[in-house]
Amino acid sequence: MTRHIRGGVPLLTALATTLALTACGAGGRDGSDGGGGAPADPGVTDDTVTIGGSFPLTGVAAPGYSEIPTGAKAYFDHVNAQGGVHGRQIEYIVKDDGYNPTTTSTVTNELVLKDEVFATVGSLGTPTQASVADYLNDEGVPQLMVSSGSLQWGDDVDNRPLTFGWQPDYESEGKIIGQWVAENMPDARVGLFLQDDDLGEDAEKGVRQYVDDQIVAVERYTSGNTDVAPQISGLQAKKADLVLAFNTPSYTALSQLVALKTGYEPQWFYANIGSDPALVGSLLERFSEGAVAGSSAALDGVMTTEYIPGIDSTDDPWVQLWQQVWDEQGGDGELTNYRIYGMSQAYAFVQALEAAGEDLTREGLVAAIEEGGTEWEGPQLAPFRYSADSHMGISGMRIVELEGGVGEPLTEVLVTDIGDAEITADDSGQADDSPPENGVPGS
Amino acid sequence: MQQFLNTALTGLTLGMVYAAFALALVLIWRSTRIVNFAQAPMAMTTTFVALVVIDAGFSYWLGFVAALLSGLVLGAVLERVVVRPVEGKAEINAVILTLGLFIVLHGLAAVVFGNRYRSFPAPFGLEGLSVGGTTIALNGFGIFTIVSVLLVMALLVALFRFTDVGLRMRASAFNQEVARLLGVKVGSMLTLGWALASLVGSLAGLLIAGGSLVHPSYMDSVVVFGFVAAVLGGLDSPLGAVVGGLVLGLSLSFVSGYVGSQLVALAALVILMLVLTLRPGGLFAQAPERRV
Repeated sequence: MTRHIRGGVPLLTALATTLALTACGAGGRDGSDGGGGAPADPGVTDDTVTIGGSFPLTGVAAPGYSEIPTGAKAYFDHVNAQGGVHGRQIEYIVKDDGYNPTTTSTVTNELVLKDEVFATVGSLGTPTQASVADYLNDEGVPQLMVSSGSLQWGDDVDNRPLTFGWQPDYESEGKIIGQWVAENMPDARVGLFLQDDDLGEDAEKGVRQYVDDQIVAVERYTSGNTDVAPQISGLQAKKADLVLAFNTPSYTALSQLVALKTGYEPQWFYANIGSDPALVGSLLERFSEGAVAGSSAALDGVMTTEYIPGIDSTDDPWVQLWQQVWDEQGGDGELTNYRIYGMSQAYAFVQALEAAGEDLTREGLVAAIEEGGTEWEGPQLAPFRYSADSHMGISGMRIVELEGGVGEPLTEVLVTDIGDAEITADDSGQADDSPPENGVPGS
Repeated sequence: MQQFLNTALTGLTLGMVYAAFALALVLIWRSTRIVNFAQAPMAMTTTFVALVVIDAGFSYWLGFVAALLSGLVLGAVLERVVVRPVEGKAEINAVILTLGLFIVLHGLAAVVFGNRYRSFPAPFGLEGLSVGGTTIALNGFGIFTIVSVLLVMALLVALFRFTDVGLRMRASAFNQEVARLLGVKVGSMLTLGWALASLVGSLAGLLIAGGSLVHPSYMDSVVVFGFVAAVLGGLDSPLGAVVGGLVLGLSLSFVSGYVGSQLVALAALVILMLVLTLRPGGLFAQAPERRV
């Protein structure tokens, strides 16, 4: 296999393809990619574009997360049924990495070398995608819209020019939550319950900007160790009466169970990633006899954040579109928040394809996202932050309180950025837009 | 003070589960001289059997009994069909075989029962008991765990020490040839050993699952800790397994609560190293007498 040098890729491959295929001219191409001949990059033909993604379809991280690519696939099928983007059908190849970074390397290799994908889209996980970020950038394959809130997808454009985040980063989420607590619950004794990796670290950085002096306890759990009783006991011993928790959904259920056992009743505030009421409710359902309220009521009174409308907002035009797409193109099962997540992400990728124009190249796609990304309408409540200097995703969220599985807004949509950027109310009107008639952007 | 008490109580309950698992390992070791790495997925499989029964609308206890019985059968069948061909060969063969079983059962369970987290009910309330106005981290199910593990330990000690069957099982494990000459049906004894061990393993699976979440790999951490507990106790002594389980459960709970949860696995290995360095045969072993 040839190991491409970054920057020379489009020219080299353009030459190679032209020589090998002497393909029919497409015309109207901009001069940057060598000119003449068919689209130059792997994964692109006149009527298809092939993309890939790796997700935990099996293993401990699979619950919930394995539904994301099914949502994205359904949306791509919807777009394909309307004729695709610029006449190209989207082919989406999904690989299972079991949330194991070693496997991620293997399957990503397959995607790049064997399936020759144009880009990876929506691939999931911080440790998993971190293990292939440099490889993809070296190979010149865009790593788009990574499903993770780590900062590393967007804050280092110089070293990873082809990597883009999608969801709000954990630091911004921490800042927004921290400021709200400082303003609305200034007397609370704050305890932090953190996953011991980027998730907890980034979030703690954000939270501490606002409530450093209110924090009385910090407990970290290791993902995989399901016994969190010592951590919850630690929070309880320091008499924390407001727990800000940055953890995955299974740990939301586990922490609720342990709190029940030790008689601990603080106000819980779970970050978006761990608060899906349907999933957590289904995990806790069986314990209803044991005095945990079952199903969607399991997290009543718990606070969390929201950055895309979820299944509880049945009046939202975006959710109505997702429901329609899922009914027509979806596979087994119901529409869930994870499928909506996948669809919302897929929508943004289709916008990027639209913006990149008829002559699709990797370079052109990246440029299109950097230039126009902040302007795109879409389901996200706050705009993307994409630019030539930042590849961070959605810029904000609102704080909600859960009641019967439905999030009641406590704030308007707040936007911010990493570092000491201010937190302001979003004035872009992003939360109020609605999808085009046929559900395909740009048409 | 409350944190100390709660950490200790959590450690105690968890230690009892490790002990139950270690008991299963000890049982199989005493009756067949094999370390069974497939114990964890075997227990996981039978726990899922219980879940299927409970999901079908039957009571928790029916599921409980179904899991124990299917454990008994699973152990016997695996011994007869899979393990029998390698018995009497080099020890490493059996070890590799059980590792293979580990992977196969894992895969099968994922195919048959699905790969997602599911909640497993508990027969007693999950709320902690109230003592003098404060809630302590011990609930009805925790007490049930402690009592049932102690009971199983007592039964095992009685089996090996006071019954004819126990003696025959030990004899056939110790030296098949001699046992056979003395009229012991070695084959049946080995099958019985596997069946009983699998039953005790199933109990451990049910105890750790109760009031928590299960998925095909939920027993994987228990296999490591249960193994450490069994080795601490000397692999040969039921009492040692229980003491080993308790030592491990309590220390790991305190490490997790007061030092950091990322050090739990490391702490388990440090304890193992210390014990093996200071008392190579384990805390309760009578190893020297066994050297031939």
